[in-house]
Amino acid sequence: MIIFSIDHKVIGKQYIGLALFSVVLGTLLSLIMRFHLVYPDAKVRLFQAMWPDGAPGGQMTPELYLSLMTMHGTIMVFFVLTTAPQSGFGNYFLPLQIGAHDMAFPVLNMLSFWTTALSLLTLLAAFFVEGGAPLSGWTAYPPLSGLGRITGPGEGLGQDLWILSIALFCVASLMAAINFIATIIELRAPGMGYFDMPLTCWGWFVTALISLFAFAVLLAGGILLLLDRTAGTSFFIPGGLIVNDQVQSRSGGSPILFQHLFWFFGHPEVYIAILPGMGLISTVLSVFSGKKVFGYKAMAIALVSIGGLGFVVWGHHMFISGMSPYSSIAFSVLTLAVGVPSAVKTFNWLATLWGGRLRFTAAMHYALGFVSLFITGGITGLVLGQPGLDVYFHDTYFVVAHFHLIMGVAAIFAIFAAFHYWFPLMYGRFLNERLGKVHFFLTFLGVYAVFVPLHFAGFVGNPRRYPDFKEYEFLKSVMPLHIGVTHAAYFLGAVQLIFLFNYFWSQRHGAIAPANPWNAATREWRND
Amino acid sequence: MTNVARTGQMVLIAASAMFFAALTSAMVVRRGLSGDWAAPALPAWAFATILLPLLASWFVHTGRIGIAALAGAALVASQFALLANLQLARIAGAFCFVLIAAHAAHAAAGAAALARFGARAAIFWHFAGALWIYVLFLFGVWA
Amino acid sequence: MAIAILIAALAGATLALFFQPRWWFPDAISAHAKAYDAHFVVTLWIVGCIFVFAQGLLAWVVFRYRDRGQAPEAHEGSGKLEVIWTSATAVLFIGLAFAGQGIWAGIHLEASNPHALHVEVLAKQFAWSYRYAGPDGIFGRVDIRQIDDSAGNAFGIDSKDPNGRDDITAALLRVPAGRPVELYLKSRDVIHNFFVRELRLKQDVVPGMTIPLRFTADKPGTYEVPCSELCGLGHHQMRSALVVMAPGEFDAWLQEAQQKVAAP
Repeated sequence: MIIFSIDHKVIGKQYIGLALFSVVLGTLLSLIMRFHLVYPDAKVRLFQAMWPDGAPGGQMTPELYLSLMTMHGTIMVFFVLTTAPQSGFGNYFLPLQIGAHDMAFPVLNMLSFWTTALSLLTLLAAFFVEGGAPLSGWTAYPPLSGLGRITGPGEGLGQDLWILSIALFCVASLMAAINFIATIIELRAPGMGYFDMPLTCWGWFVTALISLFAFAVLLAGGILLLLDRTAGTSFFIPGGLIVNDQVQSRSGGSPILFQHLFWFFGHPEVYIAILPGMGLISTVLSVFSGKKVFGYKAMAIALVSIGGLGFVVWGHHMFISGMSPYSSIAFSVLTLAVGVPSAVKTFNWLATLWGGRLRFTAAMHYALGFVSLFITGGITGLVLGQPGLDVYFHDTYFVVAHFHLIMGVAAIFAIFAAFHYWFPLMYGRFLNERLGKVHFFLTFLGVYAVFVPLHFAGFVGNPRRYPDFKEYEFLKSVMPLHIGVTHAAYFLGAVQLIFLFNYFWSQRHGAIAPANPWNAATREWRND
Repeated sequence: MTNVARTGQMVLIAASAMFFAALTSAMVVRRGLSGDWAAPALPAWAFATILLPLLASWFVHTGRIGIAALAGAALVASQFALLANLQLARIAGAFCFVLIAAHAAHAAAGAAALARFGARAAIFWHFAGALWIYVLFLFGVWA
Repeated sequence: MAIAILIAALAGATLALFFQPRWWFPDAISAHAKAYDAHFVVTLWIVGCIFVFAQGLLAWVVFRYRDRGQAPEAHEGSGKLEVIWTSATAVLFIGLAFAGQGIWAGIHLEASNPHALHVEVLAKQFAWSYRYAGPDGIFGRVDIRQIDDSAGNAFGIDSKDPNGRDDITAALLRVPAGRPVELYLKSRDVIHNFFVRELRLKQDVVPGMTIPLRFTADKPGTYEVPCSELCGLGHHQMRSALVVMAPGEFDAWLQEAQQKVAAP
């Protein structure tokens, strides 16, 4: 049976298909949001047709904007960045790279995928229920998310479905993580030690370990939040609240406790998105430089250190939350420390290129673009990691620019590289190289044009998560900047059609690939 | 037992332990935060259920899987009886509810795994038993 | 080849944007804000140098080692190099973390000034209110059952408490220039955030907590306060302002407000 297949390659492709669907949807949502930000008074018939309640007469309401924002973030973080690099490519290539016939638990693998699919359906259902999708953002801080319909439209059934979806996603990710870890520990080919694995496998291994611990904590937080909403408990809801003129009967809970549980997951989640990409980029740079990865062992150790340190820096998301100012100091030092293994990786990538003979394939272009974006996006972490400086930039567009560049765009460049690099194994054909390069150049230009200017909106103090900027005098000055960014975003969205065309066209019409066309040394290319 | 089954269970146990650690630390923080902590009164027989997982583990050890799974099912049934009498409006009762319910899910999965996979699922079962002792300790002694 | 040029060009364009004056920090109106800007400039120089160095090196390596038929070199690692760049970045990054603590300490770790003007800040979906203690210097008791926005009692000041009779509530935060101010931030529903760009201060307002925030503004003017933590559908309209007044003007305003409260 092909649908409920237990074959790791089929499941890998299913995950990739789910991620592709999600990324198209998430991108469309972001383009609609960008449109609304710069034309807040526009009446669009299409909006009215899609959301009769959210856009009466075609005029988008703030609550619709906020629900699109929540869904954009949730879809991108969970169903694209967590799903494609790890569960998609990992499922397909991990067994091949370590010489296993399949994952350790094929039935569990199938269950993980279908639980993920169910989770996505549950999330999308939130669009169609009374009140619409939740408006509390992908971070879902209580009390906004914890009291039900009374805090806003979308906080009724929509928020319940959101939590349910995340809980299902946690379960699916835990099952997947168990599978990855058991596969790597037990099913490596005879004689293959841990330090004989390609760095891609290290990336998947560390990511699976992070998922195992991070999603367990998010699941706990999600369950408690759901109980606060549905069973009248007070885990996160303090006493004496008056919402919408109604006195609430809860007492004693702590909103900050939820933030600790959320960010204990949330920060490692950033590494879940990027570590598999780091592994792949190392491989691609090495193959197309004609050299081995420089400092292989240091690279593996850096992956492990990033994964480990990633669990002790969550507080930097909470510098302004009201937690103890002394703990901010500790979190700050640890946060800048996690920059060290990241810098080590960058140096090793540069050293891998050094002295090589660089073949500029499409995959190599994306890999080099990844390194550039990783630097641009990562370096602002040195600003935000200092609580004293974060105090101005927190929750401004500076942060939006920072995390989109590093965990969004850089990770997606790694996915593009993965497609071009592994397509011959997945479909027996090449993705069109010329289209790939054209797509790369336009996308690379586009992401710089979209995300670099947003830092400057942050300098002006522009808060994020605003449906429009009409209320404030000081935000008038950033409108030209936002108009430019919105147009760059249309451009960026449009050029993604080149990739989609290439992806579907090349599956049937691409040039036939010979065995091991890139001259790679890893096992998946061996013909056995 | 294959290595794969053993390793898989060990990793699963790590995830479960993390889940219970998260709930426990939330409970420690929440208890220290507000003055509204009143230990939930579990009936005395709740602490007698400690025998069920111990018995089950012993049955697994001596190869009587069917009886072990039954003992596991009895544990789940007794946990449901406990859940029915907890007050969610009080925070300690709410935590007690969540931890017992979470454990019931583990015990049910463990018993089902015993029934389905036999002694190969022993490691997880032993862990689930130890976890129940931990939960009872939390609410019998600490809370 | 083309990609080396593009990397260099985009890095150059990014860098150039930092020299435009149009989208930048607003005025700094406190000693802390000025110290913030100074430390930010130091950080920006460090970050900028790393950025130029790393992107430049990337572009150069890509250009230098493009395929011209050369044989790739065989080196695959160097323990010495790993130690050098690991320890160098560790010293730099962690040094930066410690260097930045002064700014942070200036916000949250300094003792409260005994002469400070105390103001309670109350956030709710989607408005701000401010309360001054009045001539007795004591905030009256609060009873949430007496909260009545339409009657102007957003705080729920207890009518039975004599200490509360002279309390002044206002929709704008008025403070005198040059005098230390101590805010007590409270929310009555969800999390909000109090942000004054010109003070370089931002603090979540968390229900169930009272969070102090201290500053001394030294430049009279009106400064917008945008809510900066997502609080619901009116989040983007939850606007208030900090009005810094010359001390004499502030005293006059306060006196007038007190008379209004005293009159039945």
